[in-house]
Amino acid sequence: MPLDYVHDTQAVFRKVMDCMAQPGKTNSLAKQMCQIDFPIDCYHSTFLTMMTLLDSEATFHIKGNHTSLVQRIAQLTLAKHVEESEADFIIITADLPQASLIDAIQSAKKGSLIDPQLSATIIIETSELSSGQEWLLSGPGIKKEKRVKLAYSQRINQAREEKNKEFPLGIDLVITDQVGKVICLPRTTVISEVSK
Amino acid sequence: MTRLHQFAFFDEGSKKEIRRTILKAISIPGYQVPFSSREMPIARGWGTGGLQVTLAIIGQEDVLKVIDQGSDESVNAVNIKKLVEKTTGVTITEKTAEATIIQSRHRIPEQTLTEGQVLVLQVPAPEPLRSVEKSERQTKILHAEEEYSGAWLQLFEQIMKYGQTNTGADHPVYVAGRYVMAPSPIPRFDNHKMNHSEALILLGAGREKKIYAVPPYTDVRSLAFEDYPFTVESFATEACHLCGATDTYLDEIIDADKDKVYYQCNDSHHCLERVNGVIEGKGDISYA
Ligand SMILES: [Zn+2]
Repeated sequence: MPLDYVHDTQAVFRKVMDCMAQPGKTNSLAKQMCQIDFPIDCYHSTFLTMMTLLDSEATFHIKGNHTSLVQRIAQLTLAKHVEESEADFIIITADLPQASLIDAIQSAKKGSLIDPQLSATIIIETSELSSGQEWLLSGPGIKKEKRVKLAYSQRINQAREEKNKEFPLGIDLVITDQVGKVICLPRTTVISEVSK
Repeated sequence: MTRLHQFAFFDEGSKKEIRRTILKAISIPGYQVPFSSREMPIARGWGTGGLQVTLAIIGQEDVLKVIDQGSDESVNAVNIKKLVEKTTGVTITEKTAEATIIQSRHRIPEQTLTEGQVLVLQVPAPEPLRSVEKSERQTKILHAEEEYSGAWLQLFEQIMKYGQTNTGADHPVYVAGRYVMAPSPIPRFDNHKMNHSEALILLGAGREKKIYAVPPYTDVRSLAFEDYPFTVESFATEACHLCGATDTYLDEIIDADKDKVYYQCNDSHHCLERVNGVIEGKGDISYA
């Protein structure tokens, strides 16, 4: 069955909304991923997230050298590809080095005190969620605290903390993986290293 | 079956815009995110904001409950249910525990909501600082600067005048220690249900074109002074004449014929479930 743009994107949205409301919670887009019957140059979970959130009213920036993917997404969603610093959504594909993500976090728009919603959401691909170092999350949406394993580094965390230090200004992260898992880290989530 | 309209009434573009707005509302708890509110086939002031949120999030597998002032059967609730049912075919329920989405006006159900449920509240006036400051530009600046002395002054004046904060419904709350938010015209009795709610709460204001949110497990504190603490409506020694509840929000009903006043649960479905023994609570009539 091909992708159903009405019902599949609704289902994806609810999963992402649930993840944003409960930072660190893992949801799976595997069911909707099965419907994608054409090759696409990014994780299917990333593709679904873009299809769900992008349209002619939103802007995006796919970092790195992804000309054909950019064209495809622009064509399918009618969203405009813009500079990283202006984009509503920034996409960091799995092939990029950590430095690119840090770069994107630094240049992403973080909104203003009057309009903090005019800030970027960064969609980050990671080969496998729930692997890597363990991190401690707390903040709105989290009952006491939550531990998650993330391929995330102290350097990325520092860049994110720097960006989000003046709440409500900041950026929100959506992390997707190869098998369809997704977690969200809104700007309100405090992330710290689990001391060993 | 062929439907004359699109699934959930809206075109996909409208849904996407509302969905993006909802995500931002969740990531900035208590902040009113502007959106392009649409014209809806129900009268304005009857929950078009809540309805737009519901239609943007709802899917075929959802189970919807709609209540208006505690009742599943009021004309307003019925009209909203009809529109959603006609355009989505979703299951409609009166059972709070069964619903995945609960749209409500003026109440938060008595039965505690759980993780995964979404409460959508209809908001007529989203700006808690509006009575202090008329200009939208100015209230946005006040929120930006966390300048809430106007809201506090207003509470203080009420105490001076009435000896207590006399806000009735829609008593302002502090969300996650940052934004002052209008909880919508729920009685003060319901304010605490927002604090660390397990369910996600989405608030939609159609006329003022704002969507805001309280994520689960988020601090929500009613504005109050240390020496004049926040108090809720008190029903003192009264109990529901149908189910005997003493821990619910009660309506006062005057029986003119018998010249008598009695009390009844405002949340009619909760009351019915108690009468039928499906759920228990404080004040159960004991026959022991
Ligand atoms: Zn009762």
